[in-house]
Amino acid sequence: MRFFDPHIHMISRTTDDYEAMSRAGVRAVIEPAFWIGQPRTTLGAFVDYFSQILGWERFRASQFGIAHYCCIGLNSKEANNEPLAKDVLAVLERFVLKEGVVAVGEIGYDEISAAEERAYVAQLALAVKHDMVVMVHSPHRDKKRGIQRSLSVAKECGQPMTKLVIDHNNEETVQDVLDAGAWAAFTIYPHTKMGSERMVEIVRKYGPERIIVDSSADWGISDPLSVPKTAALMLQRGIDPAWVEKVTWQNALDAYAQSGQIDVPALLATPVIDQRALFSDNSVLRGQAPRVDEAPVPN
Amino acid sequence: MNTLPILCDWLSRRLAPEGARWFAAARAEVSGGVDSARFCALFSLASRYAPRGPLALTGEELARAAAALPGWNPERWTTLEALRVALVLSRTDLAGPGAVDAVEELFRYADIGELCAGYKAIPHLPAPERFLWRMGEGARSSMRAVYEAACCDSPYPAKYFDAIAWRQAVIKALFVEAPLWRVSGVDTRLDAELARMALDLADERRSAGRPVNPELWMCLGAHGGARAVASLEVELRSGPTLGRAGAVLGLARAGERSRLAALQTAEKDARVLSTLDAALRGGCDSRAFAALDPNMAKVS
Repeated sequence: MRFFDPHIHMISRTTDDYEAMSRAGVRAVIEPAFWIGQPRTTLGAFVDYFSQILGWERFRASQFGIAHYCCIGLNSKEANNEPLAKDVLAVLERFVLKEGVVAVGEIGYDEISAAEERAYVAQLALAVKHDMVVMVHSPHRDKKRGIQRSLSVAKECGQPMTKLVIDHNNEETVQDVLDAGAWAAFTIYPHTKMGSERMVEIVRKYGPERIIVDSSADWGISDPLSVPKTAALMLQRGIDPAWVEKVTWQNALDAYAQSGQIDVPALLATPVIDQRALFSDNSVLRGQAPRVDEAPVPN
Repeated sequence: MNTLPILCDWLSRRLAPEGARWFAAARAEVSGGVDSARFCALFSLASRYAPRGPLALTGEELARAAAALPGWNPERWTTLEALRVALVLSRTDLAGPGAVDAVEELFRYADIGELCAGYKAIPHLPAPERFLWRMGEGARSSMRAVYEAACCDSPYPAKYFDAIAWRQAVIKALFVEAPLWRVSGVDTRLDAELARMALDLADERRSAGRPVNPELWMCLGAHGGARAVASLEVELRSGPTLGRAGAVLGLARAGERSRLAALQTAEKDARVLSTLDAALRGGCDSRAFAALDPNMAKVS
């Protein structure tokens, strides 16, 4: 099977992870801009971060036959540093128009503060201006109310619900998101958020329409193979394979291809890995022979 | 010579109607004067209006390019790159004092495709020596596409780089496995220091048990002395076919005609022999190395 992990912070993962993901059938990922585990203090740090996820990280992924797309945005946590947030918002338009940027994201609420809301609204306006998809991060604390507010504010700003993905859902929030007409994404984490078993039951109960599974793997305890592992469990527990394919591949593709920034025929073509390419004064190769596949990546 | 009319002519024959309309409006906007944010946005937005595929110029069009800017070979340009370069050239302030900052702003926020287009634009700007530092950044990049945009099929490095930057750019091609034969000036701008650097690199590769890039032998010319001949002989004895063919060209470039004549009678490998025959007839410039470029072999 092939998988699309539409939320993963590859910037914090190793090449071992890329190899394992490639072997497990992950063909495409989306790297949403987020914080880096601690707050940044300068605009330059944001500019370099956006450049890195659009550049070097995309190159690293390509060496393992994985298509890498991005979301660009100011995350909710750092929106609370308002003087810096203002500067970041001022440069965002320079990055959201780049090739392979499939959405404005991940944006939304963390503490559901006024500063977060100002940044959220400003970025919704940017998305509406350029007819873009929006990826919303939902808060850990007061999640249900945070999601309801994310939906209603997005609606007030004129963001079409078909171009809105609300992430990190759970059993308590999914109905609100589906009722609003938005896409409901679920993050499978080993210890927090969703587990694979719970995900199986959600798909059994709600069906596959507008439901998306992702790993949100980052520098914390998380699993870059969450999507293929959850798919395997769904199949094992008797979920229709067509449903599994929808929630681990097709729905993510349908949601984010609305950006016009995914070359769908190229993505559907079987990938061939060429590790000889180099990028920006560095190579992921450290003296070992480059892996150059003559044959397609095995599924 | 101003190359903007040439680019506009090529684009008019290749852009779809929607792309052509967007280009006309964007050009008008740029030539009317835009702020830096808008200029960068237009540079990015171009990707939505031009195909990423090859510009696919005819022989006649390529000849026109070379006549307008000697050393410019746009045979590997994409339509999108031509569109982006045309947008840059549509600025009316390029000869002014603010041009360097305006162009640098493009690079600061550029993605890969924009970097390549930016480097390809610089040789077309008035007083291109003002952009020497930026072009040096391109030559230092290990992203092969970016290196090639700055250094290949362009008159710029040979014409403007100082000796240190030039030699580094030449050796860098070997490291990123860019086609060195496409770096204009590799037949003429050679010296003893570049030959030494290349010979040191060959020794380093052999000590590590790795093959020597056949294009490395292009760096020697007649400047390598006895050390070069000895290293070329090692390659002839123990290298793979392409490496041995490269060594034959290296000997020819060093003027070792009698050695080549002696090799001619003993050589068994047809590929090496045909290179040798051509070299003895004078075919040992950078174009002869193109035949050893694995990417060219893959294409043909």
